Amino acid sequence: MSSSTNTVCTSHKLQRGLWLSTLALCLCIAGAMAYAQDADLRAPSGAVAGNPASIATTGGGTATFYLVGPSIAVKRDVKLGEEIALSAKELQSAGKYVAIVCSGSCRSVGFFVAPAKPVNLTFLVHPSRAPVGQPNMVSGVALPFDEFHNLVLAPAPVDFQIAGAGVAPTSHRVSTQNGVAWFHTNSGRSAGALQITASINDVSTRRVVQQVASDPCSLRIKGQRNDKGFMVETEPVRDCTGNPVPDGTIVTFTAKDAQGMDTVDAPIKKGIARAQLKGSGTVTISAASGVVMGNELRLGAQ
Amino acid sequence: MMRTNTGRMPLMVCSTHSSGLPKLVATALATFVLLASLYSVAADSAPQVVLNTSKAGPRSVEAQTESVILRDYKFAWASLEQALESNSIAPVNGLFAGTANAWFTSAVTGQRSTGLSSRYLNQNHKVEAVFYAPEGDMIELHDTANYDLQILDGGKSIHEEHVVVHYVVLMTPGADRWVVRQLQAVPQF
Repeated sequence: MSSSTNTVCTSHKLQRGLWLSTLALCLCIAGAMAYAQDADLRAPSGAVAGNPASIATTGGGTATFYLVGPSIAVKRDVKLGEEIALSAKELQSAGKYVAIVCSGSCRSVGFFVAPAKPVNLTFLVHPSRAPVGQPNMVSGVALPFDEFHNLVLAPAPVDFQIAGAGVAPTSHRVSTQNGVAWFHTNSGRSAGALQITASINDVSTRRVVQQVASDPCSLRIKGQRNDKGFMVETEPVRDCTGNPVPDGTIVTFTAKDAQGMDTVDAPIKKGIARAQLKGSGTVTISAASGVVMGNELRLGAQ
Repeated sequence: MMRTNTGRMPLMVCSTHSSGLPKLVATALATFVLLASLYSVAADSAPQVVLNTSKAGPRSVEAQTESVILRDYKFAWASLEQALESNSIAPVNGLFAGTANAWFTSAVTGQRSTGLSSRYLNQNHKVEAVFYAPEGDMIELHDTANYDLQILDGGKSIHEEHVVVHYVVLMTPGADRWVVRQLQAVPQF
C-alpha cells in the first residue's frame, strides 16, 4: 500500500514537473518573442550614396548598433525606440549594407545603397596611334561614376563626338547598358589628331588618337651607277590616301647580277629611302616595303 | 661479430613486423583518413565559381582568357574571405585595384578598429560575362553569389544569414593576372 502511494505520488510529481517545465519553456519563448519585437528595425528605403538616411527602431533601452557595408564597419551605442541616423559619409559606397542592433539578442536588417548621379566618366580609347583608312580601327568605352566612385548602372545617354583631320565631325548617342557605353569607328583619311569626346549630362572627357599614314601603297624607284656600284632611291613614299609614310619605315632594295644578289634595308628619311648597292654588268634592282613591291629597274654595264 | 649482427638483424625486423604491422597500417590508414577529410574540408571551403562568357560582347572571350579570369576571380574571393576573417589586407594584395581596393582596405580597417570580423562561408558564384571591351582591356561580370554570411564581434556571432547577392564586377588585366577594380552589390541585374 505504502509502496503504491509512493508510486502515485512520484507520478504526480513527475507530471507536475513536466507541466511546470512546459510552462517555463512557453514563457521563455513568449518572452524572447516579445523581446525580439522590442528591437525591430526598419531599413531606409531608396538610400542613395552620399546622402544621410536613418533606421527606425522600436522598443526601449540602450543597444549596440553595428553597420557593415562595402567599405565600412562601425559600432556605436544607440537608444531603442529612436531613429538611428546614418551619416552621408557612412553611406558613400553603393552596395549592400547590414545593420545590426544587439541588446541581449541581436536583430538585423539589410538594405541597398544606390549610386548617386554621374560626375565622372572613365573613357578608354584605343589605339593611341591609328593608321588611316582602316575600318573600325578606333574604339572607345565609357563608364559613368558618381563622386564616390560608384559605377552608375541606371541607363544614361552618352554622346561620343569625333572630330579631326580627314573626318567629318560626327556625333553618336549611345545609352549605357550595365553601366557601359561603347562605340567603334573608322579612322580618317588624313594623318593628324583625332579628337574624341564622351559626354554625359554636363560631364565630358576628351581623348586624342594620333592618326598616322598607313602602309605604303606603291613604290617607284630610280637609280644611277656610281663609283661604288649603284645608288638607288625611291620617290616620296605615300600610303593609299596620299599621306607620307612615317620616317623609319623600312624599304628593302635588292640588286641581282650575274654574280649573285645584294640586299640592303634602308629606312625612309624625309619621305625617301636611299641605298648604295653593289653589282657589275647588267643589274636588275627592285624594292619592297611591307607587302608592296616597287617597279624593277634595269641598269646596264658601264 | 659482423656476421652475427647481420644474422640477427632480420630476426629483429621480423619481430618488429609481426607485432607492429597492424599498428603501422592503422596509423597509415588514420593519417590517410585525416588527410582526406582535411582535403575534403579545404575543397568544400574554397569558393565554387562557374563562369559563362558566351554572352559577352562586343569582343568574344578567348578560351585561355576565360580560364585565367575564372582562376583570378575565384582566388580574389578566397583571399577576400580570408582577409575579412583575419582583418588583414595582406591576402588580397595585388588582387584588387582602384575603387575595389580602396573600399576593401577601408572595410578591413573599420572591422579592425571595431573588433568585428566577417566570414563568407560556403561560397557559390554563378558568373556571367556581359561586356568585354573591343581591345580586351576590361571585362564586366555579373555574379550571382550565395554564401553564409557570419558577422562576429570579438569572436561572438552577432549575425548569421544565408544570402544571395548580385555583384557587378569590373576586372582589368594587370601585369600577370586580372584584377578586380569594382565589386558593387546591386538588388538585381
